[in-house]
Amino acid sequence: MAGGRPSARRIGSWVLGFVVLVLCLELGNLVAWGAGLPVPGTVIGILILLAGLFALRRVPDAVNDVSLYLLGHLNLLYVPAGVGVMGYLALVARDFWPIVVTLFVSTFLATIAAALTFRWAAGKRS
Amino acid sequence: MSDIGFQLIDWSEVGEGTFWLLLTIALYVVARRLQQKSGGNPLVNSVLVAALPIMALLYFFDVPVSHYALGGFWLLWLLGPATVALAVPLYINFSHVRAAWRPMALALVAGSVVAVVSSIVIGHMLGASIETVRSLAPKTVTTPIAMGIAREIGGIPELTAAFVIFTGIIGAVSAAFLFRLVGIKDERARGFAFGVAAGGIGTARAFQESMLTGTFAGVGMTLNGIITAIVLPLLWLYFA
Repeated sequence: MAGGRPSARRIGSWVLGFVVLVLCLELGNLVAWGAGLPVPGTVIGILILLAGLFALRRVPDAVNDVSLYLLGHLNLLYVPAGVGVMGYLALVARDFWPIVVTLFVSTFLATIAAALTFRWAAGKRS
Repeated sequence: MSDIGFQLIDWSEVGEGTFWLLLTIALYVVARRLQQKSGGNPLVNSVLVAALPIMALLYFFDVPVSHYALGGFWLLWLLGPATVALAVPLYINFSHVRAAWRPMALALVAGSVVAVVSSIVIGHMLGASIETVRSLAPKTVTTPIAMGIAREIGGIPELTAAFVIFTGIIGAVSAAFLFRLVGIKDERARGFAFGVAAGGIGTARAFQESMLTGTFAGVGMTLNGIITAIVLPLLWLYFA
């Protein structure tokens, strides 16, 4: 086997995996737009890929590798979104305290609600 | 002036976009190092550590955000396929969903309803503007899905992205204390709550507790994103 061969194959596999993700996304966007659903196309894209994996009954290496890589670096992809807040500083300044209080209280409540409900429902069955 | 094809690409924009793109990647690499050195402290969040210097640069040199967006656009675009990739860990861990589907379904409903309703009610009561409230509503959902929901219900996606990050940090830092307060020891319940209430940052924190906690957090995060994305815009259409 030539030295460059496996890496070329690996790049091909990454491109293939990436194309699959993009296709699922665009198909999701198309379905959301075509059916007039008020649901983000990305979510329908997740469901389409999930359905595909269930149909295959396994995760192809190409899709698995590129997916785990992208998911491992999600934080990089959030940076521009975070920086985008700069365009709304006036709004953030105006609503600063409502925002801070809402973030803290709502997160505490949601954490407790989810954990207590899970324990209650898991305990009931056994 | 003569060559129209060449003019279609504004080369000064390409240069500036590339600069911001490379700077973002470089800061992210540094931020990851710092986070690893801190032992995964959620306060040393790599989004915050990378975004704050860029925000300071834009602010002090009076650069419009639209200039940064020339480079940031590429990363935001990648967020779409990366979100679709969430289907992979969900499929891999589906045995957990099947084994505990009832507590998961109920905890999912409780967590997402409490998160959405409480943020709308509290934000509204404290006098936040309607754009802010709409941007707050999907804040427990993982960022890319939350931004899509904000767009659907008339919020501001960029604002939602920032709220999701801070929600994640708040949840990741406080959840262990809250669990002790109400006596939650079940690793599955802890993990699921981490994922539902604190998204990706909560999931990263949950993996520090144990593999099982982290796995349940990841599943909770993804299911919460899917369910909230389907239900919240419909609810908004119904009530608005």
